[in-house]
Amino acid sequence: MSSILSTQDVVVRFGVLQAVSQASIEVIEGRVTGLIGPNGAGKTTLFNVITGLQEPTAGKVFFDGKDITNKTPFKRARLGIARTFQKLEVFGSLSARENILVAAEQRKTWDRSGFDPAKVCDEILAKVGLSHVSEFMVGTLPTGTARLVELARALASNPRVLLLDEPSSGLNEEETEEMAALLKTFVEEGLAVLLVEHDMSFVMGTCEYIHVLDFGVIIAEGTPAEVQADSHVQAAYLGTKTEEQAS
Amino acid sequence: MRLKVSPRLISAIVVGLVILFLVNKNWGGASISAKTISSFLVVGIALGGIYAITAGGLVVTYATTGIFNFAHAAIGCFLAFCYWQLTVKQGLPTVVALIITLFVIAPAIGFLLDKVIMRRLRDAALVVQLMVTVGLMLTFMGITLTIWSPKTGRSLPQFFQNTQGVQFGDVTATWHRIITVVVALLVALGLRFLLYKTRLGISMRAVVDSRSLAGLTGAKPSIISGSSWALGCMTAGLAGILIAPETGLVVENLALIIVVASAAAAIAQLKSIPMAFIGGLVIGLAKSFSAVYLEWGKDWAYADEAIPAAILFIALLFLPMARLETGKIRITKRTERLTKPWEAALGAGVMIAIVGAWANGWIPWISGTTFGERSTVWLGRGAGFLVLGLVMLSLIPLIGWAGQVSFANYAIAGIGAVLFSHFGGQNGDALGIVWVMLICAPLGLAIALPALRLKGLYLALATMAFAEVADKVLIRHPSMLDPSATGVLFKPVNFFGITISSSASDRKAFLMFLVIAFALLFFMLEMLRRTRWARRWIAMSDSPAASATIGVNLTTTKMMVFMLSGAMAGFAGCMIGLQRGALSVDSFPLFAGLPLVLLIAVQGVRYPVAAFMGFIGLASFPALFEVLGKPSWLTAIELIGPGIAAIAMAYRPEGAVFYSGRDLAGLLPWRKDAREEKALAVAKEREQNIGKDEIGDMGLTRPFSADKVAQLDRVLDITDLVDEHKMAPTGGAS
Ligand SMILES: Nc1ncnc2c1ncn2[C@@H]1O[C@H](COP(=O)(O)OP(=O)(O)OP(=O)(O)O)[C@@H](O)[C@H]1O
Ligand SMILES: [Mg+2]
Repeated sequence: MSSILSTQDVVVRFGVLQAVSQASIEVIEGRVTGLIGPNGAGKTTLFNVITGLQEPTAGKVFFDGKDITNKTPFKRARLGIARTFQKLEVFGSLSARENILVAAEQRKTWDRSGFDPAKVCDEILAKVGLSHVSEFMVGTLPTGTARLVELARALASNPRVLLLDEPSSGLNEEETEEMAALLKTFVEEGLAVLLVEHDMSFVMGTCEYIHVLDFGVIIAEGTPAEVQADSHVQAAYLGTKTEEQAS
Repeated sequence: MRLKVSPRLISAIVVGLVILFLVNKNWGGASISAKTISSFLVVGIALGGIYAITAGGLVVTYATTGIFNFAHAAIGCFLAFCYWQLTVKQGLPTVVALIITLFVIAPAIGFLLDKVIMRRLRDAALVVQLMVTVGLMLTFMGITLTIWSPKTGRSLPQFFQNTQGVQFGDVTATWHRIITVVVALLVALGLRFLLYKTRLGISMRAVVDSRSLAGLTGAKPSIISGSSWALGCMTAGLAGILIAPETGLVVENLALIIVVASAAAAIAQLKSIPMAFIGGLVIGLAKSFSAVYLEWGKDWAYADEAIPAAILFIALLFLPMARLETGKIRITKRTERLTKPWEAALGAGVMIAIVGAWANGWIPWISGTTFGERSTVWLGRGAGFLVLGLVMLSLIPLIGWAGQVSFANYAIAGIGAVLFSHFGGQNGDALGIVWVMLICAPLGLAIALPALRLKGLYLALATMAFAEVADKVLIRHPSMLDPSATGVLFKPVNFFGITISSSASDRKAFLMFLVIAFALLFFMLEMLRRTRWARRWIAMSDSPAASATIGVNLTTTKMMVFMLSGAMAGFAGCMIGLQRGALSVDSFPLFAGLPLVLLIAVQGVRYPVAAFMGFIGLASFPALFEVLGKPSWLTAIELIGPGIAAIAMAYRPEGAVFYSGRDLAGLLPWRKDAREEKALAVAKEREQNIGKDEIGDMGLTRPFSADKVAQLDRVLDITDLVDEHKMAPTGGAS
């Protein structure tokens, strides 16, 4: 088991707001790594830094031992980083199949293994269970299904690391369980997964290792059991609970 | 940081050297004396004041509504005419007329626009937002032309026309100009104060970021956005009234100030009011500098007109790279499947059949009209509309698929037509068409280049500026189109035995040739839509961020589509040349190109068949004139109609072809898929509307307290700062 992706002391400042402070995390091949934290903790921002959509104020991102901090998003994708988005970023006016096909065809530009994009696309559709809606425009699909399309699209570029930003939001309980099962099959195939999630039973059930972010700072990390027992984590979550009730 | 400074520095040095070179080369020999300097400053500042007011209004509207209002100057123009009506015509005192115009009519227009149109545009695609405001511009121009016929000359007196003015050195500044500059300054300061220091202004800025954020201030979002538009219209009217005495009360002159104001707004990055003021001044001073000190020579007689566009392009070079945004709601309601090859072939065949049947007189028409008899006049007109259809076709991949809104394609076609008269057109050499297409492809790219890394809106501004420059400067250069040479520029071209030219005997053959070429291009586009190229363009347009994260190089992807579209526009240009036979210097004005973009958007810019419907639409007005005689109401409809149609896009953003296609396809018994998708789309829309209502209610209940405002202000200031700091690299730049 080796570290494939890591961040080193990443800082992101928006004006006076420090959204991420010196966050260092590590993602390891063949397992699901969790990244949890209350709303506004900076999880999505850290994802954006890793995928190159957000330039960090300071800090570095490493992939496979190489510094990729200054690489453009599309170059990182070519290295093998794929992601889904918390707020849907599907190609709404393409069909579900085309959404995945675009990514598979794009992979052709750097992956010379001679695969057939159309075939890859059909395999993935079957794998995530989208075959029955493959010809529908994604803009007309319900949110839960569209989320699966995003996941399938990410898979189509055959990534080495998959970043999932709240994949269970918009899914019902049954679908969430299916998602958890899917993730298990991915990591068995050797994929590294970084998961941001609010559904605690989902997180505790799937992740082997968890980083906890609060106000941009990593306040705890460890196995699910260790994290749950951590007093800082309890405080952070209780703190937001009371705030939520007040508002 | 170190990486970012150097390209800017290089650009700055290059731009500086180019300006120095131009100034040196075209120096008019006027001495730099107190006299010339004072006249340069007085004229420049007065002109700058005019631009500054318009630009300030434009920026305020954008900052508070998120919509760039191309109609801003046209609304100002309409209000200036209202003011003329009240003062000169009705003889009301100036003050009363001003109050009625600026504080009654202008806000009324603003609130109405907000209620009827603008509120629906908040979440619309950029294409739709732009088309609606451009349509609004044409509508206001059309209404003004209809009410106040341009056949009678009018003039608006300056304020304090009969007084002496103030002496600066040897130059007199009229009171009107002094007032203009003072008003510009006051407007800039006032707007800045309003937006940053008052409750209403803070709410206005908050609304752009999020409706729920605005709820924190306790104001109702609908009132806030209404106020934004009212304010925008008031500044537009003020500018119009001050400008009209200088430029003359002429609709086109007044509406075209938008091109200049956009340049100033780009300098202000569309958000800083003080910078918009400075931008206006810079442009005014540059124009006056050129007028006082430079001598452009007769080849570049109109170079003056290119100054705002040049400044816009320079400003674009220095703007920070746009961030790849995520989480923006884009409402797409498409129910469509890919056209099958046989369906596309059938469509192409039907197009040829329709035009062929008409051209050969197989369709019985209303007798007694030249339209019905298919005179050579009408065959020529038919070809004239079909070549414009080709221009519209070139917009499909660019605007419809890749989402890159460009107003330059008609200008590129114009340049293509002129080039064809040099490369082969004068000898009837068909190979020249290929050369022209090969030149127009990189030309299309070159126009887009400075805006590739920026927000889509800047591209629209840049292309509009280019269209203006092409019309006023490039095409008028004697080595492009010699104004002294008249007569036929294009000899007949022979294609596989068909002779095509503008001469009467060839017209039927030409029309048939055109429709076959059109149908072929249509078929090619439909096939292209099924390839990975089109898929990638559409993906990029739907979500640039997601495209980048699956490995799409956004820059090169955009470059490809601009080249394709440029080449298609070049082909259209060659056909325009052949169809007209001769060209005059004013054959390709900006205002002739805009309706084409509107028309294709109204028809449905994602669908190649829309270009054919656009062609039919173009032909329908003259045809109706023929059939109905020339009723004046039809003239009014012709003037205002295209604008109104574009405004209707606020309600029907996908275009006529889409809605009719969806509804008609559902009627076919074997298109169960279409019925299902429609049902899904309708259900989804309902879901979204419910969401919106809930948000709309929020503002009513929230209290307005000082600390909420402070919080809000902090957030807003943060986002202001953020815009400057967040410069994550986008796709292609490395
Ligand atoms: N582009 C931006 N400009 C300004 N502030 C931002 C921006 N993006 C994020 N923020 C702020 O940074 C902080 C972290 O946001 P982020 O979206 O990363 O949190 P998160 O952990 O993903 O939260 P959630 O669980 O709600 O998704 C928040 O306070 C947010 O308001
Ligand atoms: Mg998040």
